[in-house]
Amino acid sequence: MADILEDIKLAIVNGKHKEIEGLVQTAITGQVDCNRIINDALIEGMDVIGKKFAGGEIFVPEMLVSALTMQKGLAVIKPLLKAGNSQSRGTVLMGTVKGDLHDIGKKLVVMMLEGAGFQVVDLGVDMSAEKFVDKVAEVKPDVLGLSSLLTTTMPEMQKVISLMQERGLRDRVKIMIGGAPVDARFAQKIGADGYGKDAFEAVQLARKFISSN
Amino acid sequence: MKSTPYNLVMSALYKGKKGERPPAVNVTSIVCHDLMDAAGVSFPQAHLDADAMAELALAGHEIVGFDTVMPEYSVNQEAAALGCEVDWGSRDRMPDSRMFPYADFSDVVVPENILEKPSMRVVLDALAKLRRHVGGKVAIVGKVMGPWTLSYHMAGTQNLLLQVGLGEKDKIVKMLRQLMPVTIAFAKAQFQAGADIVVIADHATGNLVGAYHYQQYLLPIHQEITAEIEGPLILHVCGNCLDRLELFADAGFDGYNFEWQVDSRIAVQKVGHRICLVGNVNNPQTLFQGTPEDVRRQVRYAVAAGVDMIAPECAMPLATPMANLKALVAATHEGY
Repeated sequence: MADILEDIKLAIVNGKHKEIEGLVQTAITGQVDCNRIINDALIEGMDVIGKKFAGGEIFVPEMLVSALTMQKGLAVIKPLLKAGNSQSRGTVLMGTVKGDLHDIGKKLVVMMLEGAGFQVVDLGVDMSAEKFVDKVAEVKPDVLGLSSLLTTTMPEMQKVISLMQERGLRDRVKIMIGGAPVDARFAQKIGADGYGKDAFEAVQLARKFISSN
Repeated sequence: MKSTPYNLVMSALYKGKKGERPPAVNVTSIVCHDLMDAAGVSFPQAHLDADAMAELALAGHEIVGFDTVMPEYSVNQEAAALGCEVDWGSRDRMPDSRMFPYADFSDVVVPENILEKPSMRVVLDALAKLRRHVGGKVAIVGKVMGPWTLSYHMAGTQNLLLQVGLGEKDKIVKMLRQLMPVTIAFAKAQFQAGADIVVIADHATGNLVGAYHYQQYLLPIHQEITAEIEGPLILHVCGNCLDRLELFADAGFDGYNFEWQVDSRIAVQKVGHRICLVGNVNNPQTLFQGTPEDVRRQVRYAVAAGVDMIAPECAMPLATPMANLKALVAATHEGY
């Protein structure tokens, strides 16, 4: 069993998107627990990828292929997971702030978070503070992730946090921010709970938030 | 050598005689709200009307004091001409395009009259106007998108990068080669219209793709482009590109506009003897959120390191205080 899990993990790391479905099916046929396939193979593979990306060994093209491989592997397992059997690590609401249409970084974070076992609701781009807060009230996520690629849209992050406070929702969710123009100092200034400089850090941050709850 | 803006810029480009001070240049957009208000010209008009475009470019020299004028503020002129639906934005928002006409990587059809398309014509007309105003006194900088950036616009950024990851080299190289003539034709036309220098912005960005991707896909293309265009060319690639500076020099560009993430001293040490270095004042933390003293400190660091032309690292955030842009210029006037 260890061998097939290692093969699946390596398939993720090496972006073997044409082989992953067969490998996952082999594991399922071999009576390997689905949650072990997810946690010990698929997620571990994405963790390796995340570290390589953070270390500058690989870049977005390789990340995208590994994420595609991960999604294909998950698609084989998902129908077998009954409600309650799947162990979601937590729920993350993600979006790019108002006035900003950039989403490739956010999409990478979404993929990595899903790869790490989080349930992710991706609101898309150009999201107003009101829409973010309405969705927080509706979805009740553990974590809210705000993305901005333009310096002109950075102030929108502050608006989201201020509106959350006004509506009495601030204490119910951890907020992390990311994007090229922001940094840890800005996160502290606006009252966010954390800043992730890349998709790998975002996953670590989300894990830290959940474990501290 | 008289220390006129034009002389300072052109001499620095070829690492020639130094004048009284290093030049302060804009090879990416320095337009901000303060400048729009001072010039009486706003977005989106300045993307679409040659008079407005030229007026706003002139303001960069006449009001802020840069040694260059650069009339193109977005990255979408060619994309619009190639069939993308471009939203030209507003005073608060840069243009963007959400439609990717060649997402399936089918053959790109380049219109024969592409230089006459409105989004291209407006730049050429603006350059001609600038030539009449400041030709020979201030360096006139044009800007074109390289084939990698154009491929983002044609196929979608994530789509293109996924194909790179999947190893679909033939597909990608085909698109790059079909778009390369657009870059070359527009650059040549901009020189004819009055540009002294043309910036080629090609976003094989340091945080998106690796040096090995640049070497495999884009370096040969860039070498062909620089061989084909006779006028001086400055490359702009965003992100931390420390790992590929030598490749940019190998590509044949006369200059490279680099970001704050790359330490000036290291950049000069690596390639300062081969290529003109342009940069690298930080945008989000310094020009946008910092003080004039923060700006001055970064300028003086770059000057001391041996950067040839002082510039912001990339296109300016629209809410940048003009005081910080003026501080950049003032810091260069302290001399060497």
